[in-house]
Formats: sequence, C-alpha cells, structure tokens
Amino acid sequence: MTCEELREDYTSYALGIAGDPERAEIAAHLARQCPNCVPGLASAMATVTAMSGAVKVVQPPRHLRRRVLAAIEPRPTRWSLGAVLPWAITAAMSIALLSIGLSGRRAGDTARLEQALSILNDPATRDVTFGETDRPSKGRVFVSPDKGVVFIGASLPRLDSGKTFELWVIPAKGNPVPAGLFQSEPDATAVFVRPGPVENAAAIAVTVEPAGGSPQPTTTPFIITKL
Amino acid sequence: MQMVDSPAIGGINGTSPGVWRYARQRTLCMFASGIIFPGLLLAVEMSGKHDEDIARRLQRRDTIAMGELYDRFGRIAYSVILAIVRDAALAEDLVQETFLRVWNRIQAFEPGRGALGPWLLAIARNRAIDHLRSLSARMDRNACELDAREHPSLFVDMEREVLNTDHARVIRSAIAKLSDNQRKVIELAYYEGLSQTEMAERMGEPLGTVKTWVRSALRHLREELGQAVAA
Repeated sequence: MTCEELREDYTSYALGIAGDPERAEIAAHLARQCPNCVPGLASAMATVTAMSGAVKVVQPPRHLRRRVLAAIEPRPTRWSLGAVLPWAITAAMSIALLSIGLSGRRAGDTARLEQALSILNDPATRDVTFGETDRPSKGRVFVSPDKGVVFIGASLPRLDSGKTFELWVIPAKGNPVPAGLFQSEPDATAVFVRPGPVENAAAIAVTVEPAGGSPQPTTTPFIITKL
Repeated sequence: MQMVDSPAIGGINGTSPGVWRYARQRTLCMFASGIIFPGLLLAVEMSGKHDEDIARRLQRRDTIAMGELYDRFGRIAYSVILAIVRDAALAEDLVQETFLRVWNRIQAFEPGRGALGPWLLAIARNRAIDHLRSLSARMDRNACELDAREHPSLFVDMEREVLNTDHARVIRSAIAKLSDNQRKVIELAYYEGLSQTEMAERMGEPLGTVKTWVRSALRHLREELGQAVAA
C-alpha cells in the first residue's frame, strides 16, 4: 500500500487498534524507515502521548522510586552468569552425566542430556541471555531450528500449588506455540530441554500456567526474550 | 472518570518546528478529550533543556539522572499504567519495566531532538497494553510490534508542549462534543488497546459501524482543533 493510503491509519496504528492489512503495511514502512510514514507516525504518537498526559493522576507509592533506581544498580551477581555460563553449563552437564553414570537411576535423564548437548553443539543454534537488567529471573536459552530448545533459568518465581511453568515459542507471525511444561528446583533454578524442530522462532517466553499447561498463555510472561 | 486535581508532570517546553503542525493538531484534538480524560492538568514548567540534560546523562549511565527522570515522569507513568491495568502492584512492576527500558535503550535516543517524556509515556502505555494482550493471548503482536511503536525515531522533533495545560483545555472542550459511541471506541482503543474488530465484538456492533465511529471521532476532533488553532 502507498503511504497516502496508510495516512488515515497512522493514529490507529499508534494506538494499537489498526487492523490488517494496514497494520502490517505500516509496520513494514516503519521497518524500512519510510520518509513519509516515520514522521506520520511521529505525529500520531504525539496524539497518543497527549492522551496519556490527560489521565487521572495517581500518586505512586514512595518505595517505587527506590525500586526503580535499585533495578539499574549493578548487582553483585549480575556479572557472574554471563561470564561463567559456558563453563557452568559444561560443569552442570558433566556433573549430571557423572551422576547418571554412577547411579543410573533414570534412563530418561541420559536421553535428555544427549538431546541438550545435541542442541548446544548444533552450529545453527542461536542463544540469548535474558534477565540481566530488567527482570528478576535470569538465564539463557539455546534454540536450534532442527533440534530443539534448551532453557536454563535461575531466580525463577515460586510456583503456587497447582501451577507450572510453560515455555512458548513465539513465531514472527501467529500465536505463541506451547513448548513444554517444567518445574523449578528448590533453589529456584531449572534446566528444561524441549527436543524437536523449532519453526520460525522470533522469541521465547515463559509463563506460569495451571498444572497441565494451557493451549495459549493465560498470564503475563515473566520471561520474554527475542532471538 | 474523576477529575485530576494534581499535576501529572512538569510542563514540557521546547521548540515547535512548523513541520509538526499536523502532529500538533492531532495531539491537541485528543488532549481535549474532556469526556474521556476530564483531567485538569496543572503544569509545572520545566525546560526542554532539562530533559535534554537528563537524556545525555542517562547515556553516560548517570544513575542520579535516572532519579531525576523518575521525579519528572514517574507519577504520570504510574498513572497511565494504573489506568490501564487497574492493579497497583502490577502497575509498579510495569513502571519499573518502563524506566528500565528507557535506561537500556537511551543510546538510541537523540537528546537534542527527541521528546523524552512522550517517548517514556509511549513505553509506559505499551507495557500496560502488552500486559492486557498477554492475558488475552495476543502475545504475538506484543512481541513484534510494540517495539516499533516506541522507537526513539518516532519522538524526534515532537512538540514538547504536547502535555501543555492550555492544550488540554482546548481539547477537553472539543471532545465534549463527541457522541457516546465515539467516546466509547476511543476509550477502548486507549485503555484496552482493542482492535476495531475486537471493539465490534465487545460492543456487539458491526465492524463497519465501529470503524465509522472511530474515523468520525478523529475527524471531528481534528476539525474542532483546526478551528481552535485558527482562532
């Protein structure tokens, strides 16, 4: 569609109410820094901003300022995960393998570790670290288009009874795809392996869902990380 | 809607490039939405230079500047988010996310040309709408498009007095003339981020009718504003 045809929908897009095909068209124009649509959207954003400036004013709690500022302060543990993660993964895998080798208590563990190592060793695997600054939970996700997903998380939220974590693969277009359920360890960590092809993954998310999982997310993802 | 009886933020001054007349008109239109947003904003004047200074210091990772940013926009960001999610604890979470997002993305912001407050408020609203959409399993749109609507390039040369008190009065008067249905669709758009299709389902009205209300509402506001500016 031409910029002129899209012009009437700039404000709708800015408000997030535009429907397709206009929504997709404007997004495409923005993505290529269209000289007409970028300023057009800027003016529409001014409209939305003005609406925001006119809402009923509510005084936030005093502790919120401290909380916001605390969140940007370097945290003592922040450096450690990214810096030592490759080593930590290797060590964790080795310990797990050793444990399984010594005890042989669960045949499925060996299979899962093999799947995890297969994903980690795939040259096509993409990985992304999450939660370094803006979320309490932190960790890393490895995604192999052919082999699957390895999720490693720490500082995960405590699950209430009858709840489970659910991993989602979010495609570039379309609804989130369920990618498995998992629980955390008592120390709030989790290593989850979901073998199998992963198609068109644009992001990975984790939500808290009722036991048994949900076909679509029912809560806000506490982890959502773009690939 | 209740009346606003305290200042939302300090007023935002700055240059008003003529090329942004269209933006000004649309902005003023919506800001006058006295029925939807009947708030009385009591602006406390602060200079655009102050925002520019804050932005530059944020780019140097000055944490004190972050405190100043919060002092300037924390209340309005919290108010916007709370108005949308209607949950105080959740609003706190989303305010934190908002400011962290500014902190993490400030390097893409142009301090001399960008409008810091409007950018932050766009992020704040998007975080809240993002939450609502995740509840209704519309996460795909969240993940892929909210970022596009809060890119700093969309806030370059924006009029910084977009939150000016006088503008609010003009627009409040204009929006008072909207019909109930026109007002309703604008509320559903702003506070819930519903698409026009979703509005039609919610209201039990044909999509074409809803689109007509949305377009006529915006057209009416533009016309009202145009007269006000011309006067």
